[in-house]
Amino acid sequence: MNSIAIQNCSVSFSDSFLLRDISFTLELDQHWVILGPNGSGKSAIAALLAGFGELKAGSIQGLPSRVSLVSFESQRQLIERELDRDESDITDEIFEGTQVQEILLEDCVDSQRLERLIDLFEFRTKLDRGFRNLSTGETRKVLLMKALCSNPSLLVLDEPFDGLDVASTKILKSILEEFKRKHPIVLVLNRFDEVPDWVTHFVYTKSVSEGIVTYGGIAHVIARDNKLAMESLNQLVQLTKTDVFFPEADSSDAVPELNPVDPLVRMKDVSIAYGDKVIFEHLNWQVDPGQHWQVVGPNGSGKTCLLNLITGDHPQCYANDIFVLGFQRGQGESIWEIKQHIGYVSSALQWDYRVSINLMNVILSGFFDSIGMYQKATDQQTKIATQWLKLLAMDARWDQPFSQLSYGDQRLILIARAMVKHPHMLILDEPCLGLDDLNRQLVLALIDRICRGSETTVLYVNHHQEDAIDGIEQILTLGRG
Amino acid sequence: MSNYFNTLSLRDQLAQLGQCEFMHASEFADGVNALKGKKLVVVGCGSQGLNQGLNLRDSGLDVSYTLRDAAIQEQRQSWKNATDNGFTVGTYKELIPTADLVLNLTPDKQHSAVVGEIVPLMKKDSCLAYSHGFNIVEEGMQVREDITVIMVAPKCPGTEVREEYKRGFCVPTLIAVHKDNDPRGEGLALAKAYAVGTGGDRAGVLMSSFIAEVKSDLMGEQTILCGMLQTGSLLCFDKMIEKGMDAGYASKLIQYGWETVTEALKYGGVTNMMDRLSNPAKLKAFDLSEELKVIMRPLYNKHMDDIMSGAFSAGMMEDWNNDDKNLLGWRKETGESAFENAQNTEQEISEQEYFDHGILMVAMVRAGVELAYETMVAAGIKEESAYYESLHETPLIANTIARKKLWDMNNTISDTAEYGCYLYNHACLPLLSDFMTNIDTDVIGRGMGLNDDSVDNQRLIDVNAQLRQHSVEKIGQTLRGYMGAMKKIV
Ligand SMILES: NC(=O)c1ccc[n+]([C@@H]2O[C@H](COP(=O)([O-])OP(=O)(O)OC[C@H]3O[C@@H](n4cnc5c(N)ncnc54)[C@H](OP(=O)(O)O)[C@@H]3O)[C@@H](O)[C@H]2O)c1
Repeated sequence: MNSIAIQNCSVSFSDSFLLRDISFTLELDQHWVILGPNGSGKSAIAALLAGFGELKAGSIQGLPSRVSLVSFESQRQLIERELDRDESDITDEIFEGTQVQEILLEDCVDSQRLERLIDLFEFRTKLDRGFRNLSTGETRKVLLMKALCSNPSLLVLDEPFDGLDVASTKILKSILEEFKRKHPIVLVLNRFDEVPDWVTHFVYTKSVSEGIVTYGGIAHVIARDNKLAMESLNQLVQLTKTDVFFPEADSSDAVPELNPVDPLVRMKDVSIAYGDKVIFEHLNWQVDPGQHWQVVGPNGSGKTCLLNLITGDHPQCYANDIFVLGFQRGQGESIWEIKQHIGYVSSALQWDYRVSINLMNVILSGFFDSIGMYQKATDQQTKIATQWLKLLAMDARWDQPFSQLSYGDQRLILIARAMVKHPHMLILDEPCLGLDDLNRQLVLALIDRICRGSETTVLYVNHHQEDAIDGIEQILTLGRG
Repeated sequence: MSNYFNTLSLRDQLAQLGQCEFMHASEFADGVNALKGKKLVVVGCGSQGLNQGLNLRDSGLDVSYTLRDAAIQEQRQSWKNATDNGFTVGTYKELIPTADLVLNLTPDKQHSAVVGEIVPLMKKDSCLAYSHGFNIVEEGMQVREDITVIMVAPKCPGTEVREEYKRGFCVPTLIAVHKDNDPRGEGLALAKAYAVGTGGDRAGVLMSSFIAEVKSDLMGEQTILCGMLQTGSLLCFDKMIEKGMDAGYASKLIQYGWETVTEALKYGGVTNMMDRLSNPAKLKAFDLSEELKVIMRPLYNKHMDDIMSGAFSAGMMEDWNNDDKNLLGWRKETGESAFENAQNTEQEISEQEYFDHGILMVAMVRAGVELAYETMVAAGIKEESAYYESLHETPLIANTIARKKLWDMNNTISDTAEYGCYLYNHACLPLLSDFMTNIDTDVIGRGMGLNDDSVDNQRLIDVNAQLRQHSVEKIGQTLRGYMGAMKKIV
């Protein structure tokens, strides 16, 4: 057998977490890394390879008999085992726990390797210490040494570099480098930049929650030589990190405040028609600060038209009773006074954005509500734009022409352009239109971040139920949808 | 009515012709305030009317439309344009008397009739605006004394005026106040506010005069802008066919070639366009263009002279009174030309290939731009005007050819420009026939195909110096530099 084949497996790990319908084939000359948001099943897949979890459906073939897993979970189990052995409250003797040496020898097959590892990790003097007296980093090292000298034919390491100091990380990396020549390694990592060069495949996990149960699964398996997909994956990992932060607003040229008692948008009895063709009639709608809205409806029901009434791009906004971002329309306001409060992204904008311009300037143009740059940006604005590029993991490419980007990356840049000024309202007209699955997830991850992590009200138009975003609760339905 | 320009003394003629100044952004600090709360009524809702009106309204001004009765009754396209965009539309009688500013954006040919009809309805002390001074300058229209007469002329087709505004930019614009009609001295303030309303201030505004605008506009559009491109298209196409080249390739090379080579003008003038060629090709293009300049100079002079004397407009007005017989005939002829009817090949032509295989086209553009510019400046028009009416607008017109060949160009430009273009074309075709007999596909269609790109150093230095030191290059650099702060950062 020279591959591990997981087919349509559903595996239960607790009452509230299951892996659902996962399939993959890992060839024994490959090395995989599993990435994904927290709680989406990374560790579960690692554990599954080590034989944990309760198989509910599907088949697993070719799993080697000796698999070693090092994870927080296995570390916790070892610590707990040691706690259970502590009977000091009964014996009244001070118990220092099992000696490190003893633990290391428990399943050691290759004592020569163990000797080497002890030297490398400078554990010689700690061998007779009690396990319980070790620091977290040290227990981690014990687990790693234990795993490596048990001669596994598959090594599964869940966040192995977490809690290791720089020197130890380096040592571990060189040991893995050697190990991988003989056997496959599966790593679970949180950060893209930690992925060693020799990893051949990237797995990206995602989850859905249904009631109290979360189902983890595999969204993508990408080979390293697929450059385009790799870049997107890097961005996705970046965006789904828990500690993502948004760059600040431009303090010297901030968007003016709105009166907090006013709604952001109020439409009264609004009707739109082209000639005899009525798009919609008698629409009443109010958007209050702090709400996020999704607008749904079939093709031709006027979703885009409705958004354009808000942005001022639809000329009939002058012929209707519309209050937008502090202005009753048609009373001598200029559209630039309204646009300054709005960030806007649509595929139409993407078509329009054909000027020859680099990524940095596209983002900067968001400060001026212009397509192309006609004014000089301040240093602060440039700094903020750089931070956005960093957030999207595109800072190294700042000077690349916008037109050369993939469709999905263009969309991300346009969302950043819309957000740089911290607008009161972000309007997204079918932001996933024309995107492949990976890029869709990227865009959705960014929108999700914006809904949860900023003061901006989001108006979101889309067709697909599966592109719903958790933070958007209000729904306006147009047409007979 | 008689030609206004011809009624002036030479001193006045020269003074007005020589008026053209780039206005500093700080002169527009007052924004649209001079028109805020006033009633703007646009006459006509075509290319300029609709698009200027949309911009003005989006800038916070009160805009409505008045159309001739028939257009309203028959719900013509102009009526649809206005109502679909949520504007109020009314008859002259309903709206003109309420207007503080009337924007006359009907075709130039109709101006005498339209202005004759609306002026009596206009409020006392109101203002009448044009986007082209033909009616005032060439037809000598006299407007009631209490009315202020101004001009705000975007240097682009209407669709472009709108698209650029939506992008947060606009198109360069000329403004002027008619000296004879500025009774309260408010003309300039109104013209500036109007220019801000269309967005023009973001791209650069030139303070001009009615006369400078008309004479330079006519000269530019007849010669380099439309005339040269039309003549060049026909000659180059026929030459390639004569030499046995594929018609589909020839058609495509010309249709998109003008746009591609003139795009280079936008960034760095004639110098940059010529620099896109290999050294031997550049020297070749230079020689051809020098030859063309000698052959065509008398024609450019004649056009300028006829424009100055009023002979051109008199001739055209005669055709107007003759049911446009010449114009319609020439239009039909253009529609039937071999170039116009050839199907383009599917074959890809790379950007550089348009230069390499279009050496003669590059030479024609250089010759036309420099000749038109030199002729205008020699006639007393300021360098700034001459630059805008020649080099600056060439890529814009070339874009229309890229869309739908000569038909689209002649459809987009005004009837006046179209008439002048045909005049030029008919004179220029025979003028260049000898020159064309010596032309082969190395300069149009196939490229020079040299393995060795070496040239004589001294000669290259001389040619480069001549290109770079031309006055159109110097003023171009300054004007493009002025726009620096506002310019697209590319
Ligand atoms: N096109 C350009 O590139 C450009 C650039 C700068 C300045 N301009 C100037 O802008 C002005 C308008 O040009 P344009 O190109 O916008 O013209 P256009 O597209 O032909 O539009 C003319 C409008 O005037 C109306 N009209 C025609 N004949 C009329 C009449 N006898 N009485 C009343 N209304 C009439 C037409 O509507 P109905 O026929 O339905 O009544 C139409 O709405 C001209 O002065 C032109 O020189 C043009």
